[in-house]
This record gives sequence, C-alpha cells and structure tokens, in this order.
Amino acid sequence: MKRPRPFTLLLAGAGLLLGGLILLPILALLLSSRPATLLSLLQSREILLALWITLLSAVIALPLIFALGLPSAYGLSRCSGRLRRSLEILLELPMVMPPVVAGLALLLAFGRRGLFGELLADFGVRIPFTLSAVVLAILFVVTPFFVRRCLVLFDGIDRRLEEASLLLGASQLQTFWYVTLPVVRRGLFAEAIMALAQSIGLFGVIILFAGNLPGRTQTLSLAIYSAFESDPFQAFALGTLLLLISLLLLAAVHLLAPPEGQHG
Amino acid sequence: MGNLICNLRHSLAHFELNLELSVAPGITILLGPNGAGKSSLLRLLAGLSKPESGQIQLGERPLFDADCSLDLPPEQRRIGMVFQDRCLFPHLDVSGNIGFGLKLRGAKRSEQHRRTAQLLEKLGIEHLATRNVATLSGGEQQKVALARSLASDPQLLLLDEPTAALDPSARSEIRRWLHAVLTELSIPTLLVTHDAEEVAYFRKRVAVMEQGQIVQCGSFHQLLREPASEFIARFLGVNHIPGEVEVVAGKPVFRSRGGSSFLAPFEKIAPGQAWLTVFPWDIALYHELPEGSPRNHLHARVQEVVILGDRVRITLVNDDKLVAEISTRGYQALGEPQTGEKLWAVFKAREARIENCVPARS
Repeated sequence: MKRPRPFTLLLAGAGLLLGGLILLPILALLLSSRPATLLSLLQSREILLALWITLLSAVIALPLIFALGLPSAYGLSRCSGRLRRSLEILLELPMVMPPVVAGLALLLAFGRRGLFGELLADFGVRIPFTLSAVVLAILFVVTPFFVRRCLVLFDGIDRRLEEASLLLGASQLQTFWYVTLPVVRRGLFAEAIMALAQSIGLFGVIILFAGNLPGRTQTLSLAIYSAFESDPFQAFALGTLLLLISLLLLAAVHLLAPPEGQHG
Repeated sequence: MGNLICNLRHSLAHFELNLELSVAPGITILLGPNGAGKSSLLRLLAGLSKPESGQIQLGERPLFDADCSLDLPPEQRRIGMVFQDRCLFPHLDVSGNIGFGLKLRGAKRSEQHRRTAQLLEKLGIEHLATRNVATLSGGEQQKVALARSLASDPQLLLLDEPTAALDPSARSEIRRWLHAVLTELSIPTLLVTHDAEEVAYFRKRVAVMEQGQIVQCGSFHQLLREPASEFIARFLGVNHIPGEVEVVAGKPVFRSRGGSSFLAPFEKIAPGQAWLTVFPWDIALYHELPEGSPRNHLHARVQEVVILGDRVRITLVNDDKLVAEISTRGYQALGEPQTGEKLWAVFKAREARIENCVPARS
C-alpha cells in the first residue's frame, strides 16, 4: 500500500479535528436527556406555547421572505456592474451585523420612541414585544441570506431558456412563473427549509426587539435562555428538542435539494 | 405569408453589423464563418437585443423601427427560434415543451393535446411524446425544439446552426429531416450555418455574411458560378484567382497575381482587375503536359491531398494556388501523388469564368 503523503495527512488531520468539534457537542447534547424527559417537556403548557410561537413565527415569516426575497433576488440576478455590487453590499449589511445590534437597531426604528414608532403608533400599530416583532426580526435577519442563496440559483439559470420562453409568446411574468421558478424549484424548496431552520434558531435579535414574554414572544431559543438560569437540565432537554427539529429540517434539505450538478 | 425585410446597424465587439436583408417565404441559408455576426443578427431579429438603428418588418407588421421608437418585445414578434443548443425546458417532458406556447395562449387542454399530437405525428416524433428531454439525443432534441417553435405558429423561423452541435452521423439524418420539414413551411425561414456542406445540401437561396455585412445573396448556383469574393469561393471550395486582364497582341489574356497566364471567355470583360473562377472538378491533373488543344495549365507542387470517399481533393501551389478534385480512380491512375510532387493542372478556357472586380462594396 502506498504511504499517504504529508500534505494529505495534514488535510485529513484538520478535517478530523473539525469533525470532532462539530460532532462532540451535538453528541453531548443528545446524550444529556433521556427520551422520557423530552416527552415530559411536551406536557408543559409554557413549553408548548414556546414551541408554538417558534413554529408560528417561522411559518408566518416564510411567505413574506419569499414575497420580498424572490423578486429581489431575481431582479438582482439581472443587474450587473456597479449597481449589482452596491446592492449586494446593501444585502450584506444585515448579514455582518451582530444579532444583538440588529435587535437594538430594529427597536430604534420601530420602537415606541423610534424613528417610525410614533408614526406607527398614530395608526394604532405597536410592533415591539408582539408576535409581529418576532416576525419582523426574522425578516430582517433571514431575508438577506435567503436572497443571497436564491441569487446563486437564478444566476445558474441559462438565460436562453427564458429567451426561448419569450419567443414562444410568454410574457416576462409568465416566463418567470412557468420557466424560471420551475427550473430552480428543488433549490427553492431547499432554501425555504434553510430559511425555516434559520428562523427557528434566532435569539439575540428577538430578545431585544420582541422581548422574552412567555406565551407571547418567547420562542424556544428564549425559553432555553430562561430555563438555563433556573433549571439547567430543562435547558438541556429543550436544547435537544430544538436540535432535533433542526436535524429534521436538515434531513429535509438534503432529500429535496438537487443532487450535485443537476442545476441550471 | 409576408417577407422579412430588415435594415440594421449595430455595433458588435470587433466590427459593426450593418446590413440589409430580405427573406422571402421558404428557406434562405445564412452562411458565414464563425464570428461573422450571424447569431447576433438572429438575436436582433428576435428582439433579444436592440439594434442601434434600422427597421425590421415582417409582412405587414413593423417589428422594430428606430426612427419612431418602435420595438416590439420578443413575445409579440411571433418569431420562432431554434437555438444551437436547443434550450428545451428541463422541467417539462417532450409534449410539455411542445404544448408550452399553446398553454400560454390559453388553449384548452384538449386543444393543446390535439395540436401537440398533430405536430408530433407530422414531424415523425410521436414516440418521443412522454420522454424526459434530458434523455433525448442531440438530434431528437433538435426535432423537439423545432416542433416547439412551430407549435406557436410563428411568422418567421430562425434556426441557429441546427446541425453544428451534432455528431456526424446524426447530422446527415437531421439535415434530411430538416429539409423535408422546412420545405413544407410557407413562412420565411432563415437557417444559419458556417458549413458550406449544408449549403450544398439544401441548394436554396443563400445570403453570405462576413464581418457583419451581407456580401452576397443569391441561389446556390449563382454563388458557385460567380462568388463575389475570394472568401466565398474558398468557402465553397471553388478556385478563385485574383489577377488582371491585359491585352497582348490585340488579344485579351488573364494574368494572375502569381504571374501565370490563363485564357477564358473574355466577352464583356474589360481590361483591368479581374477574378478567374474555376471549379475543382473541371481541372485535370497530369505528370506530363499533354500535347494538343490550347489549354490553361499550371505546373505546381502538391501541397495537400484530402481523400473524400470516392473523390480526392488535391491542392497545388506554386505562385498561384489551384485546388483540383478528381476521382479516386483517376488518383490511383496518377500513381497516388504525394505532397511535394510536381503535377500539371490543366483546364479548358471555356471552363474558366472571368469577371471584372466590382468596385469595393460600400
């Protein structure tokens, strides 16, 4: 047998270390609570509410992310040059913003004494510390990532497919609906699930903008934070629950995502 | 059905596309080397890019007019276009692809099925109806792409190098199929190719494009007999020798740039710059110059021998260049000459054609 060369060993070593770094904590968390504990969690009203709010806000946010993100991503994929670079930088702003800072910024914009708070209050709309705040926070943080990934999908489409559709008499909207979207549909399914997974895990931005109000804005992540102060074991169990949801979503992504090289 | 009439100017990367073209119902071949601007022209016609100036008119309908800022979007032009790499919709099967245009125009599902089935049958591809387009061969994809375009009842059909991306065996089959299908159509059809063989196969009207301009337009035979430029002649494999007509002792004679003298029918030819054209198959080759009738001859070295089935194409070079095409039997009778050997190329004066150079085209 040929002896592996030093560089190969270096790469394999780094890979193994990283793999361990990822898997060990996950394993530790999964081993921390017994299935019975997990089941008993689901009997607590407060936790069921937190689970409900987590899923509800993510599911409400998803169509909004699509409605805002898809046209933006498609529009951006048709831009080029300086305009496109500037818009991409705009998109990266929320991505590099620390989540806690994003929460503060949202509060300053839409809070009661914020830039638009009074205007909104005149219409009787109060966003902070409501479910709307959770959804808005999700939109703010997740949509840019979603747009970035959809941009890759749209950039991968052969433009001539759309031109062929136009020449067959389809309007631009029809072409978008009947050609562009169906061609990337598997990628879009995967992106939808990624967006859900990301929405479910948000913490910093929500705790600052929406607050940690059990039964109203407390999502599972926030419930873990609260539990950790009083009963760490419950926090571990909740963590396991959240992890399982994420793993389910991850599995779904890989079942629906296109196999390598089948895109575009 | 109406003619396509266009007159366009548009800057491309390395030259300007500047042309007038009229395409009558039936097949017209647009011939030109790679990079002549053929595909750009198709995109301009289809409305996928916008010309800087000019007009496009299809029958009674103006499609583009820079002067009155008319620019119909591609979906309203009713132009069918078959792309070189087909561009079938990967998310639809063959029937779905063909029915796409009908579905968009709100045809009822039953009508859609009927029309699709009709087209599939007419084009002889019923067996492909439910196939996934990714599993089709290149030739089959080409057929489906054409069917898809025809389903939308276009008033002009554009085909961009329909056989270029196919392997040679599929190419001849698709060529036959295209010929049969396209001749049935009553709309102007512009078939783009860079392959002179294709032109010879179709034997239809040809427009030759070079550097963004139409340099010649006419029947295949006109092209062969009177190629308007050396490029066209070379493209078609016709000998095209530049030179000058001089009067020597009261008689006209053609003197090539390489210094050889040739005779040709000189009626209507004025002294001055001229082209001499002779078909490769009208040239005979000998080891010794035969005695007898006054003939045009050139003693030259064999530069290249290409065996094309039962024909052999031999390029002879001294200061002039002459391509001869003889039968394989004739080639064997000559003792299968190889590169470097010297041979006599001989052709009759009346087999040569001579033409005064047209002043450079504007």
